[in-house]
Amino acid sequence: MSQPTATRTVVVTNESGIHARAATLVAELVRCFESKVMLIKGNERVEGTDVLQVLSLGAGQGNELSLEATGQDAEKVLDELVKLFTENFSEEQSSDKEGNGTENK
Amino acid sequence: MQKLQGIAVSPGVVIGEALVMDNEGFRIPRRFVARDAVEDELERLDKAIHAASDEIVRNREAVSQELGEKYGAIFEAHLQMLQDSRLRSELEEMIRQRHYSPEYAVSRTLRRYARVFQRLESSYLAERASDIFDIEKRLLRNLLGRRREGISHLTSPVLVLTHNLTPSETTNLDRRFVRGFVTEIGGPGSHTAIVAEALEIPAVVGTGPFLTEVSGGDQVIIDGDKGLVILQPDEETLASYRHEEEEIRSMATRLQALRDLPAETADGVGLKIFGNIEFPYEVDHCVDRGADGVGLYRTEFLYLGSETEPNEDVHYEAYGQVLRSMGDKPVTIRTFDLGADKVPHLPDPEDERNPFLGLRSVRLALRNLPLFRTQLRAILRASALGDVRVMFPLVTTLLELRQAKMVVADVMEDLQEHGIEFNSKLKIGMMVEVPAAVMMLERFVDEVDFLSIGTNDLIQYTLAVDRSNKDVVGLYNACDPAILKLIKMTIEAADSKPIPVNLCGQMSGNPIYTMLLLGMGLRNFSVAPSAIPEIKKICRSVTIEQCEVAASRAMTMENAREIKSYLKEELKKRVPELGQ
Repeated sequence: MSQPTATRTVVVTNESGIHARAATLVAELVRCFESKVMLIKGNERVEGTDVLQVLSLGAGQGNELSLEATGQDAEKVLDELVKLFTENFSEEQSSDKEGNGTENK
Repeated sequence: MQKLQGIAVSPGVVIGEALVMDNEGFRIPRRFVARDAVEDELERLDKAIHAASDEIVRNREAVSQELGEKYGAIFEAHLQMLQDSRLRSELEEMIRQRHYSPEYAVSRTLRRYARVFQRLESSYLAERASDIFDIEKRLLRNLLGRRREGISHLTSPVLVLTHNLTPSETTNLDRRFVRGFVTEIGGPGSHTAIVAEALEIPAVVGTGPFLTEVSGGDQVIIDGDKGLVILQPDEETLASYRHEEEEIRSMATRLQALRDLPAETADGVGLKIFGNIEFPYEVDHCVDRGADGVGLYRTEFLYLGSETEPNEDVHYEAYGQVLRSMGDKPVTIRTFDLGADKVPHLPDPEDERNPFLGLRSVRLALRNLPLFRTQLRAILRASALGDVRVMFPLVTTLLELRQAKMVVADVMEDLQEHGIEFNSKLKIGMMVEVPAAVMMLERFVDEVDFLSIGTNDLIQYTLAVDRSNKDVVGLYNACDPAILKLIKMTIEAADSKPIPVNLCGQMSGNPIYTMLLLGMGLRNFSVAPSAIPEIKKICRSVTIEQCEVAASRAMTMENAREIKSYLKEELKKRVPELGQ
């Protein structure tokens, strides 16, 4: 009866860390999957869909995060999440729907 | 019970119900909700979250359409934050378990998040705290709905507790029901201080943060004499303050009897005691106290109270109201004493790192002649209605004075050409508040009709102390020997001509200094209307000789503390009932 689980480790590489738009992207992505995803930094565990909580982690450049997923598509959601992190939340792209090159101040 | 120490800026004691406002001028309602109202309150919270989300979606669409998708992105982030599930459960917990009102819960919770963000190492993330405040405001706006009326519409007496008051809030407040003020920030020169004094209600400023400790409807005591604010007072404290309220009332009644007696010393030397006003309605306070006129009509609020620059008629209306009430008694109007940052429609100054030494007052007037001329035209037109006098603030050099007088002459000529009535013999004076002007007074007195000593600025410039800076406010002393010397020089320079000299700073209304000033030769006092009876009482209780002895003794002393305690003793000796 136990659900499949998956874990990954990522390092935040983009300059401004997990900012508001990045946290939003994480939440949007996680919502597309069934699995429940937790982001863990040190002793703090927060749910991936809770943007305020994700922001409160204060994950800056160089911080290591553990990702934990529980659910049928656990592996898949984490694969996608890791991609999002390694692409620096699409920050380099100048403009498209998910683009974030000019985060509002 | 909790006691807060702030700065006393307007005297008196008042006990009443708190009205708490946040930074934005929102009224924060009661902290607690009744047990059986919890479900309704939760529903109200959800409605507000829903409405706020809808607003954000609309904003996002509007902004995306106008500026492009990426600019709308921040609203998406706000939307997600608002829908954070833990936030919702935290709010629910506060309302359900602790019976907090949704407004209070929202404020508490979101501010906690903001603090977390502010503490984050990444400066980028720390800036996000402003997003949180944005969401807080949006939620509160939706929760409060029509109750968000600030202090312009009230239905019962309240004590206003707030972070700070803006000039427009103070001008539009409901005068019938505001009984006292407390602000977290601000100093003796703040708007709150000025307005509270004008309304003659107790006020304490600069208490530091405390608004999270109090909620609307709490009982609060404001002690405007000691600068104390007492939250949720106990029975004993309440009783003692009720007693004090009663004492103050009976003393006021006794002093009221002085209204129609002349201002003169016990040995029959005639004096003039004028009122300082800021708002036209204060002229009634002057009349009630038997003032000999208005010695200082500050005109700054004409500029601060509205978003647009006041036109000539706005000035004229205000001056006219004061003059009509004053009858044939003199009214001295001071031209605007503001920095460029405070005047709408003037560009913000670029290099104003040091506003008190910057482009303000008469300097600003001389650089913005249309603005200056508008006020002068109104003053001159009003001079046809009664005994108007005009004076310029912050005059530092002879050249400035001459320039300002030339503008007056110019405006007079203009009025004459248009056949508009005015008093061509209008008396022109200057404020003495810059030490440089005191040094040059022997020259100035040939070119003005009167002097008015503004001790607040004179002290600040002489002692190099910003009295709104709590770290140095202790160095700000009206009775510093250097100040006494400058005042003495001013009185002597005026007497040598002779022209009248008046003292209109706060020092003038402080009973401790009345004997000193009389002894130094001052015969004209201009004080807050509420202080008139007290000052008159002292004048009528002492002889010039007694005052001269006290003044020359004080002037031999070395430091402010010594002088002050000596003057207190003298006052107690001569006028025991006021010398506490």
